[in-house]
Amino acid sequence: MTTGADVRSELADLYGRESAAIEQEFSVTGEGRTALARRTALVDSMVQRLWNEIIVGSHLGSHSGSNHSDNPNNFALVATGGFGRGWLFPHSDIDLLFLHANDTSENEFKDPIRRFSQELWDLRLKLSPATRNLAECERLDPNNVEFAISLLDCRYLAGDHELFTRLREKAIPRLVGRECQNLIQNLAEITRARHHKFGNTVFHLEPNVKDGPGGLRDYNVANWLALISAMEKLKVWPDDKTLLPVSSQRAFDAALDFQMSVRCFLHFRHGRHDNTLFWEAQDEAAARKIGVSDADITSAADWMRIYFGHVRSVHRVCNQLLEEIPAAWSSLYRQFQGWRSRVASDDFSVVDGLIFLKQAQQSGGLRDPEMLLRLFHFMAEHGLKLSTTTEYKVEQALPALAATPPRGAELWLYLQETLVQPNAADALRAMNALRLLALLLPELKGIEALVVRDFYHRYTVDEHSFLAIENLHRLKESKSEWDQRFAELQSELEQPELLYLALLLHDSGKAVPGENHVEVSLQLTDSCAERLDLDPVDREMVRYLVASHLEMSAAIRRDVFDPSNVKSFAEKVGVPERLKMLCLMTYADIKAVNPEAMTPWKADNLWQLYIAAANYLSRSADERVHTGNNDYGSSLAHLRSLAPVAGKKINVFLEGLPQRYLRIHGASDVLAHAEMAARLRQDGVQLNLKQVRHWYELTLITTDRPFLFASVSGALAAWGMNIVKANAFSNAAGMVVDTFYFTDRFRTLEMNLQEWERLKKTIAAVVKGEADVARMMRDRLKSEKGSGTKVKITTQIEFDDGCSAHSTLVQILTQDRPRLLYRMCSLVSKHECNIEIALIETEGQMAIDVLYLTSGGSKLSADRQAALGQALRDELAAQ
Amino acid sequence: MTKVEAIIQVSKLEAVKDALHEVGVEGMTAFEARGHGRQKGHTEFYRGREYTVDLIPKVKLEIVVADEMVEKVVQAITAAARTGKIGDGKIFLSRIDEAIRIRNDERGESVL
Repeated sequence: MTTGADVRSELADLYGRESAAIEQEFSVTGEGRTALARRTALVDSMVQRLWNEIIVGSHLGSHSGSNHSDNPNNFALVATGGFGRGWLFPHSDIDLLFLHANDTSENEFKDPIRRFSQELWDLRLKLSPATRNLAECERLDPNNVEFAISLLDCRYLAGDHELFTRLREKAIPRLVGRECQNLIQNLAEITRARHHKFGNTVFHLEPNVKDGPGGLRDYNVANWLALISAMEKLKVWPDDKTLLPVSSQRAFDAALDFQMSVRCFLHFRHGRHDNTLFWEAQDEAAARKIGVSDADITSAADWMRIYFGHVRSVHRVCNQLLEEIPAAWSSLYRQFQGWRSRVASDDFSVVDGLIFLKQAQQSGGLRDPEMLLRLFHFMAEHGLKLSTTTEYKVEQALPALAATPPRGAELWLYLQETLVQPNAADALRAMNALRLLALLLPELKGIEALVVRDFYHRYTVDEHSFLAIENLHRLKESKSEWDQRFAELQSELEQPELLYLALLLHDSGKAVPGENHVEVSLQLTDSCAERLDLDPVDREMVRYLVASHLEMSAAIRRDVFDPSNVKSFAEKVGVPERLKMLCLMTYADIKAVNPEAMTPWKADNLWQLYIAAANYLSRSADERVHTGNNDYGSSLAHLRSLAPVAGKKINVFLEGLPQRYLRIHGASDVLAHAEMAARLRQDGVQLNLKQVRHWYELTLITTDRPFLFASVSGALAAWGMNIVKANAFSNAAGMVVDTFYFTDRFRTLEMNLQEWERLKKTIAAVVKGEADVARMMRDRLKSEKGSGTKVKITTQIEFDDGCSAHSTLVQILTQDRPRLLYRMCSLVSKHECNIEIALIETEGQMAIDVLYLTSGGSKLSADRQAALGQALRDELAAQ
Repeated sequence: MTKVEAIIQVSKLEAVKDALHEVGVEGMTAFEARGHGRQKGHTEFYRGREYTVDLIPKVKLEIVVADEMVEKVVQAITAAARTGKIGDGKIFLSRIDEAIRIRNDERGESVL
């Protein structure tokens, strides 16, 4: 008879020899599935040998002389979890259940079980034992749901087979039947928490192949969810080949083979239970073609793309099941999803939070590119996921779409509407996963699942871009102090879609290895702008943001309180709208690097730089253009190249205008204004009215005169227009260029085309002094009721003599209200002050007006400032 | 061995890093820090609200060097970080008893 020491030594030899052989075989074949099967068989044989030696030996010893079978009745050894599945990775735990029929056998075998476990530990196997009786296995322990889940993979190893059959065929189906809802809800909760820990994305630069989203654990979760659901219905074990739809199962099988090989490779490589796919491991896996022996792999990035392809399909199916299966069991969840189904449109229906095509669209509706774009817009708007069948339809529609992909203004129209929706990032991710995004914008193809290694980034380049977009959309709902502060800025953006487009493209150049990705990103941005047929001004903004996306990060590494740094940065940026966009872009970009990247230290520095630069831009608006000055050489040369015959006219027009004018207006605007200025001899009031995006824009060019700005503001207010922004500039020849941006509160211009001309005539009459603004205002007041204010803004008036060489600056913050600009500017004129420059902004309920004033050609005296300040305070105190 | 802790202006980090490399310092640890000595805070108004920063952003560097290197390191930092104005920062020196490389348990100055 063998002694305990002999067995231990024999098993240690066997384990060492066979483990080395498995590793050797894996190093040649790279086949994970075979290695796992061999290792499982090895450990099976070892535990069975120990069972016979210790448990059966003890049983026979205590029942010697009686008529007992070799195996004890009422006691069985069961493999659970990964061991039960036959997936024993080189350094995985070995989950064993000591299953008793009742307390009697539990007491009888307490000591042999201890010795059995000790022997396995001494053999350096990582045993995870559990001892339960049958009744305990049938009960769900709310504090250990994982144990119930591990039973779903149970496998007989030794002992009382009949007892094991009772567990598998009776106890487990009864447990699942009774606790189905709890099991599913707990599993969903655990899985969501795990996904959250990994930022809900598969696209990590150094992913965890087991626990990361789309990893092996997700494969298991998908199978468990399907198994529990089927078992509850059938009351018996279902055929595991029919658990998942055939299309999902095919993708799953390929992913499983790949991931088994990768995890096996990592365990052998690291010599411990470590499932992180570090960069060095990626290099080695790619060189050894782990999991992809027949693929053409030239780099680690290629191999990682295959990796991401597999995990993405597992993650997708797992998430779909997490949406679909709990929905079938929870009344609250059903109620919530029922509420969500109300958002269905003419084209799409919503069932359990998933989007389906309506019957009319089933037969090839998605071959219409517009329908396809509407689908993702719908997703972005409502935060819903696509159903499996809808995804399938999208995939089917792609080949036809690839032949003639949509482009131009129509594509941009849909894309911009999608980008500004609250769930735009999820819609972009879905488009990316289905290969639609690269089809619409081939400029993004190079960054699909692209791993670019640095010590800070945690995600692939495409996911980083989507996350940056998501970061901006989540600002509003965030409770973080910093997010809230930046959310205010975001709400002020005039064209947020341009910022989102810039974020989508800002790192596209990383697809080309090299020193400077920004240059390549710019080339791709140009190509994309061409494809989308972007308006030249919009194109310039997106280009600027992509080109400058690292500027502000660099600037916060300098002294943000040093006025010369602030001046240099602010002058580079030029205009407040660009500054806001660049600041938000920087915030979102840093936050998307990794969850810890945006520290309070960086957020504070960024904010301080932003406010210092914003203040600088408001307070330096009166620095003038001198056409002889070389600083403007390139701008002027550009303007002249666009209009060669107008060279001198442009010089005369620009001379003495504030530099801010050139920063605000693009070349086409400047040329148009110069043309208008040239026509002043024929008609002393030149007006241009056009509709731009969400508002109307009225440009007035005329000779400066008292009350001019106030009168035009009054005339617009009298027409019911709400002025949201305005600029007033004058040049050396005493000519003014005033631009008013307003919304049409009563849709007068939208509904009556003839009113466009009538409005212009009214403005011209007011400017010429032929119409009485005060009377017009009185008429408007009679016909309008006052509207309540939602947020109370306290009026603040601040004079500053130091920031301009020629003018006194007054900044007025007050409650926005109808006719505000008219009232303020009339008062300024009554105090014999001339408005040299006006910068008028409205943010929500707050009017933010900056006026550069002179009186008699000089700055305002202290007495005049005091008098004007008091008059403004009195006026603004009155409603 | 001596630990050199230098609190410097954010804008001087690159220059100090370069200077330290030049004198043979290969490794360092940098922290985002805030604080003030005689240099006080900063106030900026924006949209009628006051934003005051009492503690100015700084960078703190920690380097452990062999004793014979200390003076060179201090010289390199002061030369690279000095502007001559308030707020240039401080350097603190303290004794270190032992250094251990976690990877291989190596001890002493060779670890640095």
